[in-house]
Amino acid sequence: MVNTTIESTTDQVVKARIGRSTGPQLNWLQKIGNSKYLGLYLLAPAGIFVLLFFVIPVLLTGVFGFTNMSTATGITGGAYLANQSSMQALGDRHDMAALAEQINQVVYTIDETGLTTAREAGISAATLMELRAKFLGQSFDNRRDAERAIKKLNNRPANTRALKVLVKYFERSVINTRYDSKAEILAAIDGFGVSLTPEQQAAIIDVTYTGWVFSTNNFKRMISLPDTKKTLINTLFFVFTTLILFNVGFALVLAVSTHYMDAGPAGFFRSVWLLPRITPPVLYVLMWKWLAWDTGFISIILGPFGVEPKNWLLDSPTNAWTFIILINGMVGASMGMLIFSSAIKAIPSSLFYASEVDGATRAQQIRHIILPQLRFPILFITCYQTLSLLTSFEYFLLATEGGPGGSTEVWALSTYFKALNNYAGALEYGYGAALALVLVVVGVVLSILYLKLFDFKTLTAAPKIE
Amino acid sequence: MTGNYRKWPMILFLGIMTAPIILMYFYLFLDTITNSPPGSLIPNELTTEHWRFLWMTIPGRPSIWVATWNTFLFASITTLIVLVISSAAGYSLSRLNMPARSFFLGGIMVLHAFPTVTLLIAIFLILQMLGLYNTLFGVIMVKASLELPFGIWIMKGFYDTVPWEIEMAGIQDGATRFQVWTKLMLPQVKPAIMALGIFSFLAGWSEFILPLVLAPDNEVQVLSVYLAALIADDNNFDMALFKSVGLLYVVPVIIPFVFFQNRLMNIYSGGNKG
Repeated sequence: MVNTTIESTTDQVVKARIGRSTGPQLNWLQKIGNSKYLGLYLLAPAGIFVLLFFVIPVLLTGVFGFTNMSTATGITGGAYLANQSSMQALGDRHDMAALAEQINQVVYTIDETGLTTAREAGISAATLMELRAKFLGQSFDNRRDAERAIKKLNNRPANTRALKVLVKYFERSVINTRYDSKAEILAAIDGFGVSLTPEQQAAIIDVTYTGWVFSTNNFKRMISLPDTKKTLINTLFFVFTTLILFNVGFALVLAVSTHYMDAGPAGFFRSVWLLPRITPPVLYVLMWKWLAWDTGFISIILGPFGVEPKNWLLDSPTNAWTFIILINGMVGASMGMLIFSSAIKAIPSSLFYASEVDGATRAQQIRHIILPQLRFPILFITCYQTLSLLTSFEYFLLATEGGPGGSTEVWALSTYFKALNNYAGALEYGYGAALALVLVVVGVVLSILYLKLFDFKTLTAAPKIE
Repeated sequence: MTGNYRKWPMILFLGIMTAPIILMYFYLFLDTITNSPPGSLIPNELTTEHWRFLWMTIPGRPSIWVATWNTFLFASITTLIVLVISSAAGYSLSRLNMPARSFFLGGIMVLHAFPTVTLLIAIFLILQMLGLYNTLFGVIMVKASLELPFGIWIMKGFYDTVPWEIEMAGIQDGATRFQVWTKLMLPQVKPAIMALGIFSFLAGWSEFILPLVLAPDNEVQVLSVYLAALIADDNNFDMALFKSVGLLYVVPVIIPFVFFQNRLMNIYSGGNKG
C-alpha cells in the first residue's frame, strides 16, 4: 500500500526527471529511493490521514466554536422561514412589531398561479373563466371578502364546501413558506404588497434565517453560566486528586514495592495492575458497577451489618467521586508504575548494596536513593497525565454520566453532552465546539510547555547519513 | 540486593490493594456460568442460560456475531492502516533529512497527546457532510488517523535504536535509501511492528467513544457499543448476561495480553490513556 501510494504521488515527478536526466538511466524505484525528498514521500500518506481527520477537525472546532450551529439550524446552509417565532423575534429584537403584523396577514389574490393550480385540481373551467374575467389581479384582505366576491359569480361553486376549497387556491402568505435565498423571501414579501426599507430587509433576513450564523455568544454564555464554574472546579478537583493519589502516588507505591520483591510476585502484581488499562472501558466500568450496584458486592457484604442495600455509585456526590477517582486512578496508576519501575531498574545495584552494608533502612534507601532518581520521571508523568485526565470523559460517561445531579460533570463530559448527546435531543454543536476549543487551547499550550521542558532538541537530533 | 529486608509486608500490602481487581475478574468469570441465590456471593448451581445470547438474538439488538464481526473488521483494518503508514512515516522521521523535519516531529508530538474529545464534534459533522456517518469505513478512517501520531512516534523511537552502521553498509553496497528501508531496516524493527500491531488491535477492539458517536446503528455496531446499550437498557436488567457478553468481548484482549505482556508493557509506558 505504501508503494502504490508513493507511485501515484510521485510518478509524474519521476517521469519528468527521467526525461531530463543525463546520467546513467535508473528505474523509477531507484530514482525515488535516492531522491532527496524520499522522506516526504514516505511521510505523505500519514500526512493525508492526519490532515483529514486530525488537523482539519481541530481547525474546524475553532470555526464551529464561533457559530450557533445546532440541530435546529442544521449543519449545512439554512433556508429563510417566516413563522410565528421569527415574527415574534422581529417584534422583540428589532422593535418592528407593526411590520411583523403586516407580514403575518393572509391575503387572497386572484392571480394566474392560483387559477392554473385550481384548474389542474379539477375546479370547473367556467367558474375559473368568470373569476379571471372579473377579478384577475384583485386582492382581498380576508377570507370573508374573497368568499363574498366569489359568491357573486354566475358560475359559483355549488356549495359552501366547494367554495372554501376554491378560495384556498388563492390564499397568499409569506408565513410558513421556506425560501432558499434572501432574494426570494424579500421578493415574496414585496409581491405581497409590503414595501421594505433596507433596515427592515436586514431585520427580516436576520430573524427568518434558519441556518447557522457566526457569533461570539457561545463564549459570552460560557462565562455567564454558573454551570461553567462548577464544571471547572469539578475538573480541577478530579485532575489533581487523581493525579496525586493514583497516577503519581500509587504508581510510586507500586513501583517501589515491586522493586523490593522477587521477580515472580513483582511480575504478577505489575500484570494485574495493567489489567484495568487493557480491559475495554465498557467492561471495566461494568465490573465496578457490579461492585457498587444495590444487588452487588458491597451491598451484599454490608448486608449482615445492617446497611441498607443501595447503589453506591450514585447515591451521593461523595461516593460518586470516590468511585470516579478509583475507576480512573486504577487505570492511570499503571503508566506511572511502568515508567518508575524502569527508572528504578536503571539505578546501579551497587548503590543499594553499599547502603545496605552501611546499615540503611528501607525507608532511607527509598528516600535517598530511589526518589532522587525518579525526579524526572515524576515530572514527566505529572505533565503527561494532567493532559490525559483533563480531557478524559469515557469513564465518566460509562459510570456516572455526570451524576448524581451533575455533581461529577467535568469539562470534557459537558462538551460531549452539549454537542453530541443529551436527553432533550437539541444538540448544540456550536456551544460544544466552543467548550472543546477551550480544551484545545489548554492542550496546545501544555504540550508546547512540555516540549520545552523535556528538551525537544535531543528528541529531534538530525540524521547522520546525508 | 535487598536480602536484609523482609518481603512479606510488601507482598501483603500490595495483595490487599490488588484484591478488588482480582475479585472483579474472578466474579466476572464465575457469574457467567453459575447462579447465586439473592443476597449471596456463593453460587448454588451451574448454568449455561447466561450465554443464550450466542444462539438467540436479544430482541431489539443486532446479532452478537454481527457485532463481533464488525468489531474484528474495525480493529484489524485500523491496525493494518496504522502499521503500514506509521512504519513508513516513522522511518522517514527517524532517518531521512527533509524540509521542515523538526516541524513535523513537533507536530507529531503535540498531536500524540491530543485529546479526542476536542476533535469529536468536528469529526461528527465532517462525516455527516461526507455521508460517512454510520458507516464502518468512516469510523475506521477516523480511528486510524487518531492512532497514527502515536504509532509514528513509537516506530520512530524503535528506528532510532537501530545502529546507523547497518544502513551505512547498505548504502556502501549501492542500495538506495528506499531499499535500505524495506530490505534492512524493516526486518530490524519486526518486534516493534508486532508490538504496535497488537497494541493497535487492542485499542481498536476496546474503542468505545468513536463508534458510539460516529456509527451507532445496529448494522455497524461494534461490541463496545452493543454492550453499553445492553447495560443502559433499564427494562432488561440482567447482570449475568452483561458479564457473559463482556467476557466474550474481553477474551481476544486477555489472550494476547498474557502472551505478549512484555512487549506491550514497552508500548503502554508510552501510552496515551488516562
